[in-house]
Amino acid sequence: MFHIKNSRTRFGVMSQVARRLPLFLLLFLLLLAVGCETDNPQNTFAPSGDVADKLRDLYLIVMWPLIGIMVVVEGLLVLSLIIFRQKRGQAVPRQTHGNTRLEVAWTIAPALFLFVLAIPTITTLRDLATVPDGDVMEIEVTGRQFSWSFRYPNEEITTTNQLTIPINQTVNVTTTGVDVIHSFWVPKLAGKADAVPGRSNAMWFNATEPGTYSGQCAEFCGVGHWEMTFTVVAMTQSDFDNWLRDQQAGNPNSNTSDLTWHPEE
Amino acid sequence: MASAIPEQRPVSIGEALRGLRHEAATYKGILSWIATVDHKRIGVMYGITAFIFFLIGGLEAMVIRIQLAQPNQSVVDPQQYNQIFTMHGTTMIFLVVMPMSAAFFNLMVPLMIGARDVAFPRLNAFSYWVFLLGALFLNFGWITGDIPDSGWFGYAPLSVQSLGHGMDFWMLGLQILGISSMAGGFNFIVTILNMRAPGMSLFRMPVFIWMTLVTSFLIILAMPVITIALFELGFDRFFAANFFNPENGGDPLLWQHLFWLFGHPEVYILILPAMGIVSEILPTFARKPLFGYPFVVFSGILIGFIGWGVWAHHMFTTGLGAPANAAFGVSTMIIAVPTGVKIFNWLGTLWGGSIHLATPLLFAVGMVAMFIIGGLSGVTHAVVPSDFQQQDTYYVVAHFHYVLFGGAIFGLFSGIYYWFSKFTGRMLSEGIGKVHFWLMLAGFNLTFFPHHMLGLLGMPRRIYSYPEGMGWDVYNMISTVGAFVIAASMLVFMFNFIRSIKRGRRASADPWDGRTLEWTIPSPPPPYNFATIPVVHARDEAWHRKYVEDDQGRIVRVPAGAEHDVESHEAAGAEGHHIHMPLPSIFPLIAAIGLPMIAFGLTYYQDTHGEWALPLIPAGVVVLLIGIFGWGLEPEAE
Repeated sequence: MFHIKNSRTRFGVMSQVARRLPLFLLLFLLLLAVGCETDNPQNTFAPSGDVADKLRDLYLIVMWPLIGIMVVVEGLLVLSLIIFRQKRGQAVPRQTHGNTRLEVAWTIAPALFLFVLAIPTITTLRDLATVPDGDVMEIEVTGRQFSWSFRYPNEEITTTNQLTIPINQTVNVTTTGVDVIHSFWVPKLAGKADAVPGRSNAMWFNATEPGTYSGQCAEFCGVGHWEMTFTVVAMTQSDFDNWLRDQQAGNPNSNTSDLTWHPEE
Repeated sequence: MASAIPEQRPVSIGEALRGLRHEAATYKGILSWIATVDHKRIGVMYGITAFIFFLIGGLEAMVIRIQLAQPNQSVVDPQQYNQIFTMHGTTMIFLVVMPMSAAFFNLMVPLMIGARDVAFPRLNAFSYWVFLLGALFLNFGWITGDIPDSGWFGYAPLSVQSLGHGMDFWMLGLQILGISSMAGGFNFIVTILNMRAPGMSLFRMPVFIWMTLVTSFLIILAMPVITIALFELGFDRFFAANFFNPENGGDPLLWQHLFWLFGHPEVYILILPAMGIVSEILPTFARKPLFGYPFVVFSGILIGFIGWGVWAHHMFTTGLGAPANAAFGVSTMIIAVPTGVKIFNWLGTLWGGSIHLATPLLFAVGMVAMFIIGGLSGVTHAVVPSDFQQQDTYYVVAHFHYVLFGGAIFGLFSGIYYWFSKFTGRMLSEGIGKVHFWLMLAGFNLTFFPHHMLGLLGMPRRIYSYPEGMGWDVYNMISTVGAFVIAASMLVFMFNFIRSIKRGRRASADPWDGRTLEWTIPSPPPPYNFATIPVVHARDEAWHRKYVEDDQGRIVRVPAGAEHDVESHEAAGAEGHHIHMPLPSIFPLIAAIGLPMIAFGLTYYQDTHGEWALPLIPAGVVVLLIGIFGWGLEPEAE
């Protein structure tokens, strides 16, 4: 009798888990799909610059253990419902009030895990706060309702809604806002730097491959917020020199001539 | 009040009913609701109002989802879109989750601590009326066309520059709602500290009461912060002050610091009540005490403290600098520890229990399951550099919906299913309830899980539309379909609710074999709640009245006859003490009416033809004073 009951319960557990399995698999596939869609213009999982690369790697370092924790804890939750589901005529269970050792353990364990997470967090923050040594290209970024302007203080030119940079060149942007707060964001190259009126905010990044990178204002700034997009065009040093010469010669048409740049070229 | 009762003495029902008769004689019909000071009636009004706003906020969400279902749509125009998402966020936080929690505080706190009402019944009525009028004021723009449009956190200087009166309604509406919350916060702190039944020491209080206490302290400390921020915004808007104007020495970031110094404790104001509800429901349906009560209580208190030290994690990309970012990243990680402790203790409560899979339990477990996901995605935000990518994207939208919808709303629904019978005397249908639960769970995940992917694919929040080819199309479509499933689940819930009120199965006083005091009195409870104030001997008092250990250490029911239950309460003898019941009053409502009058005056008097509005300001003050004086001079009790 006992055996039959037990095996039925076990079978019940397995069938219930099996029924939920497709759901879990679906969620995982959806999540993995993000990594595969590399040609999406603002995919943070498909970086083309050293900073975005660091941010992606850091996110993955955190994401996988967290998914592991999620699966285990959610699994235990579902399992407890299945195993301890009330049976007909079941007596009142033992009135356990707790287990100090266990509770101390599950207080300390997450604390330790988070302590470990804090280490790459802080080291990466430090890396991002220090502009790498060597030649740095300065860009002054100004956000206004609803466009972006990029001033090259050393090259003495200004462009609108398109930032052109050479590849493998450290670029240091200094952002500010004119009217309200905006946020400068090119997901494939780096994180965000808010453009706050009356303040300046700095961030460095580079592009490791030639291409056109899509950027977008990330701080809600009014009725045209959704259209406040821009592009970063990264090209080889020699192409950039040509572009710069055209710009300084007052030939703004070349500003848009490379919009259809293909990374394969 | 406990000290007023030297010993437990039986009371005559006739005497107990005298207060009731008085109320019935003074006010009848609708007026008996308007003038009520009964915490149960106020709780019901809070709940119904909050649910109506839940439907309104939900309709706003549906418009957002329909607009975003496909690229390049224009179901609404960009300005309308901004207004709708602003009102969606503001409504859900200030007009749904907060007042729905307040509804549970009102309904449950006196019943769970063995009191006849809250400490200040008229202040309680005042809280409700101020909330209702503030909420209507906030939504007044739907009539005039001036709808708030700067986002629910109203970042300056956008909120200063916003044209029309939309942001005036938002700003003054939140000020009015703040008064309501403050009054409620003080009321529940005093109620919980002073009105517990004899024997109910702090560590015999149900966890829901603990969480109410922590939440109330958070409310009275956090609301003044947003009050100051809103006053500054008001000065900038009405009198061209320069708090947030950098050209004259102001700083836009000041708004963000103030707003989030309020805003993060606010997050815990929203979630702690739901955590308290779940901490009551899991033990009842696992038929086991809460695992590690002290750990759950102290982690709640700790969350209340650490919640004050994490606000800048909303501002990682504003350029605070690496040291500040690192500090706030670490403090955000620290707050994950007490949150994790609660989840593990809930698991420990279920483990080894005898789990009755009824609807309240399903919603409570749903809350835990969804909150785990929201909590873990919150940890990724604490990793500051990776937040540089996620900040202001749909990833954040996913996170806070998992916490506030998956956490708070699921928790509040579990409370509705759990305590419905206590106030209606009828049971919600279990079958329809289960349909509601599974639809809502599926719809919720369908709607919000894809938001993680959208964020990682670089979709910023608050954009009106997006072009093709961004890789966002499929996820947005899935999300919109999910939103319709949630909407369907709400129809199922409303059907269940209305049907059960009329035709639901009659509920006994204690249908779930509950563990706390509210289950020792009839459903629905009499106006005076407890004919005799109970004496508490243990945590889970109601359980200990029903069960004892036998010689072999097994838990068995107290033999019939010896049971100290509802019947024995009610059959108590004729001689008794006086039941102290507050009298109804319409003055709290009158006082409350003064506030929106002042706000209307302030909003309109500077308009080109706004002279008519100026007298509203002093008139509102006069009405407020009349209300307060009337309230003070009227006899408060029989």
